[in-house]
Amino acid sequence: MTTPPVVAFAGVSKTYGNGTLALDGVSFEIASGVIHAICGENGAGKSSLMKILFGLEQPSAGAVMIDGEAVVIASPRIAAAKGIGMVHQHFSLVPSLTVTENIVLGQEPRRGALIDRAAARQRVIALAERYNLHVDPDVAVRTLSVAAQQKVEILKALSRDVRVLILDEPTAVLTPPETDELFERLRDLRAAGLTILFISHKLREVRALASHVTVLRAGRLAGDAPLSAIGDDAIARLVMGQAARPEPKRGDRQAGAATVTLEGVSLAARDAADRLSGIDLAIHAGEILGVAGVDGSGQRGLVSLLTGRLQPSSGAIGYHGEPVAGLGTAALRRRGLAHLPADRFHDGGSKRMSLIENAMAGAHRLAAFSAGPFLKRQAMEARTAAMIDEYNVRAPGPRAPLSALSGGNAQKLIAAREFATEPRFLIADQPTRGIDVAAAAFLHERLSELAGRGCAILLITADLDELLALSDRIVVLHAGRIVARMENGPGLTPERLGPAMLGLEAAA
Amino acid sequence: MIRSALVSLVVTAILLVLVVGIVLVPIAMRLPDPLAVLDMFVFGPFRNPRHAGNIVEMATPAMLCGLAVAIMFRAGMFNLGVEGAFFLGGLATVATVLVVPLPAFAMAPVGLLVGAVVGSSICAVPGYLKARYEASELVSSLMLNFAALFVGLFIVNYFLRDPAAGAMVSYKIPVDARLPRLVAGTRIHLGTVVAVAACLVGAVYLFMTRGGYESRIVGLNPSFAAHLGLPIRWITLRAQLIGGLIAAGAGGIEMLGLYQRFSWQSLPGNGWTGVVAAILARDNPILIIPAALFLSYLQVGGDLIARNFDVPSEAVGLIQALVLLVVTSSAIMRNPRLMRLVQGRGGAARPAEPKAVERSPA
Amino acid sequence: MTDLDLMGLVGFVPAILRVTTPVLLAALGVLISDRAGVLNIGVEGMMLSGAFAGVVASAATGSAAAGLVAAILVGGLLGALLAAAVHVLKSDLILSGIALNIAAAAGTTLLLFLMTGDKGMSGSLASQVLPKVTIPGIAELPVLGTLLSGHHVLTYAAFLAVPGVGLFLTRTPFGLRLRAVGESPESAAIAGINVVRVQTVALVVSGAFAGTGGAFLSMGYVSWFSQDMSAGRGFIALAAEVMGHGSASGTMFASLLLGAAEAIAVALQGRGLPSELMQSVPYIVPVIALVVYARRRQRRLART
Repeated sequence: MTTPPVVAFAGVSKTYGNGTLALDGVSFEIASGVIHAICGENGAGKSSLMKILFGLEQPSAGAVMIDGEAVVIASPRIAAAKGIGMVHQHFSLVPSLTVTENIVLGQEPRRGALIDRAAARQRVIALAERYNLHVDPDVAVRTLSVAAQQKVEILKALSRDVRVLILDEPTAVLTPPETDELFERLRDLRAAGLTILFISHKLREVRALASHVTVLRAGRLAGDAPLSAIGDDAIARLVMGQAARPEPKRGDRQAGAATVTLEGVSLAARDAADRLSGIDLAIHAGEILGVAGVDGSGQRGLVSLLTGRLQPSSGAIGYHGEPVAGLGTAALRRRGLAHLPADRFHDGGSKRMSLIENAMAGAHRLAAFSAGPFLKRQAMEARTAAMIDEYNVRAPGPRAPLSALSGGNAQKLIAAREFATEPRFLIADQPTRGIDVAAAAFLHERLSELAGRGCAILLITADLDELLALSDRIVVLHAGRIVARMENGPGLTPERLGPAMLGLEAAA
Repeated sequence: MIRSALVSLVVTAILLVLVVGIVLVPIAMRLPDPLAVLDMFVFGPFRNPRHAGNIVEMATPAMLCGLAVAIMFRAGMFNLGVEGAFFLGGLATVATVLVVPLPAFAMAPVGLLVGAVVGSSICAVPGYLKARYEASELVSSLMLNFAALFVGLFIVNYFLRDPAAGAMVSYKIPVDARLPRLVAGTRIHLGTVVAVAACLVGAVYLFMTRGGYESRIVGLNPSFAAHLGLPIRWITLRAQLIGGLIAAGAGGIEMLGLYQRFSWQSLPGNGWTGVVAAILARDNPILIIPAALFLSYLQVGGDLIARNFDVPSEAVGLIQALVLLVVTSSAIMRNPRLMRLVQGRGGAARPAEPKAVERSPA
Repeated sequence: MTDLDLMGLVGFVPAILRVTTPVLLAALGVLISDRAGVLNIGVEGMMLSGAFAGVVASAATGSAAAGLVAAILVGGLLGALLAAAVHVLKSDLILSGIALNIAAAAGTTLLLFLMTGDKGMSGSLASQVLPKVTIPGIAELPVLGTLLSGHHVLTYAAFLAVPGVGLFLTRTPFGLRLRAVGESPESAAIAGINVVRVQTVALVVSGAFAGTGGAFLSMGYVSWFSQDMSAGRGFIALAAEVMGHGSASGTMFASLLLGAAEAIAVALQGRGLPSELMQSVPYIVPVIALVVYARRRQRRLART
């Protein structure tokens, strides 16, 4: 090889404060001027490795080499000086600042003591022109769509003269057509001489974009090969280990009467991403109704309405045929509502409280767990221990704080709590986001079981594979409207959902 | 879990000794006999039953104010109205027993009840404004403390003032209204028993009842509470009401227990001591009892050296401030290396995690 | 309204500016800290310490300017200490601020006693007073003269600082970084900004403003320090900043409103209204103003 690899990892390990071994002796090289994919399940160590490269974290052992020289990347500032830029999965933008302010932040052009605003704006326009990434330089970032924010995030990285651009799961928030456009831009960047590190767990995308793939599994290097030399099956095996991802069985379910109905429901919200208009929908007993849509298409508003946290501006919501106008969360829960929230630690539980206090919240007012104003603490602990057992929650014990649990185990505990009420209507919002395969498979099974027992389930998920695997019917939300309704079946593919998710086509 | 709680207790104790030393030693060094000063501060409070009694007397309002703070903070509000509630509660109690014609046996209970209700407004109003309008309870409670002070002084000056007394003080509190003294040779009064009992009841409330459980859920994670459908506004407001009643009742108890006339000319500072006690006890009502005793021990020591040497008792304020600082310092209290050091070789393999101060400002 | 009333009103302006000055200075300090995400609750103690430092330094040097410099330095130093509490000790921001207030109240009394043997007043120290400024040419004009000339030097400084702070926050590189740190520290760190440094600088500047406000208390119109002489003005400044919701001009208008309330209260007190009741007015107005503001915001949110 004539030139040294632009980036090389040599025996990189990372142990976190709580003892988790995230990376274990990872070594591989990234050649200059290519699109290099890094594949792996959630928790395989992809993000930790990239945080080390970007200077957000330090390796516990091993070294990072740039252009063949070992370097210590102590902060993002140093990473930037080395020509490394990163597009974060959760964008690193300041919402109230304008596009221009976000891009020049930290390296502002000056005129005297002040920011040279004209020069800053010109810089952004030139950059956008050069890379064909068009955004309005003067609007506040919080008003932009997710895809536009991603463009800003990319421009911000490019404005720092990068040679290596890291993209961490960039397509998670995009529709298929938006993904296609992103890929076009990334190919342009490679043509302009950049090295691109593309992190993904979607094989299809890796195949479409990259020329080389590195697979991580459980913190170790599982494989490293040019894509021309390795087949999809082989990559999948490397990603999954021996066991392939189990296909959840939909089983035979018979949909019953409508449990929850929405008739002409609209929601006027301050945030455009929450607005809904003219939603007609019925969720029947014993079915899983999937909701597809780009993030911010109204899913959050829908959940707020169905959980009684917001009231519709017009239209009617019914439970079992009875209107529930004006009822709050507590009243709806008494009518059989359960909810797996999208952000499990934000809404689903309290990290500093014990597993008992997390698992019994809500049920604590039942006669089994309280007498008069007093709690029956022993009964609560016994019930929690039973839940931990039944749901395979790996935990030090019922008195441990929720923060001691991994994401998957916490989600299982929260599911145990929500499912324990034997709900008649369940909202499962991103039920398996960011958790390990085994926990996800377990939850998929439980959801199917619950539907089999006659619960009406609304499944909202950005994971199209999960959506297609579990749902009986699918509706597509776009800009607060239902733009497509389809029966799920073998013929339904992510590609067919794509145009509807972008609002390009009103599919039948 | 018990082991880690013990470790954090040991670390806290070591820190407290260090803090007292840091403030006191330089001050003592200025004087001809520094050892005598330190001796007086550290052991003086125990040499004489009257001084030991002072510790208990002073701990009484600190316990109650600390309990009030703990209950409000646990429900997630940074309500600093205890100071004003304590002041106004004391005044309203005195005003009631002075102005309202009551039979002797009813004077103290009715006076305290009225005092608690009136004084609690200083905590309840910021709580209501936050729950109803999302107005910062921090700012409004700080403002209302001073408003309570000046309105209170107005009431004393125009309605309760005894012209025969030289200063701006009220008429004498009727002897029948005063709380009975419990220990001969000291001024320890019935209020101390009330305070200790209140802390125990407070612990039962927070950890063993549905209401306490719910208020802790709201305090630790309001989004979780909303997910569960708990009536968040009512739960927080209820905690501010309870806290206000306790703090204001403490003011009344202080007046009827120790004072002859209402004579406060400025905010007495017991509320702030309560904040320090609550933080020192990590908002645990049981631990508030020793925390309050410790803080008043410092105060008695400070008063003793002030009386006997040329040192103002304000040094104790510096100690209080440092206590507040180091006890909330997670760099100290949650330092894994320090924890292991204290825990010794026999400690668990995993670094113990001491109970955190369960709060972040809104 | 008759001409006489108008003149009375104009004559009232200097009184309003006088009581507004310390609150505005401190409120600008709070604003800078708040925008950096480190709300300075210690502002009360910083004012008190500034007032004390000003008296001591000016008495020691015989120079009012030296007193002002000392007040600014002490305020800034306390800001640095608060930053150290938050970033080095990793203590809670609000509780550290409260600790600073307790320490300042105790510390100033302690030092005053050690220096003078008196715990209440600094009467025995020959401290100096900062001057008033008469603007030639304008001072002689009938109405404008009263409005624009003859105020205290720190009054001019406070009002000139308003556009200064506004420009600093919105138009300078450091101001932009400070706002980014306050709103989203993770994003700022990723953009290569040293969050700890920005917040430390913000608290130091905040303390310097509070110290200046304190200097006005002890060296503006009087020439002495007394125990607890800030008397909650730092907290009023906190309220003014919250009412001004994040902008320098908003903070100024809120400070003026609270200053006017206090000036009116003082004037009415002179006409025989109970002084205690009037003293409570500046603390009640912020609460009402906060509610009015919060209600308006709620209605605005409900409409959209």
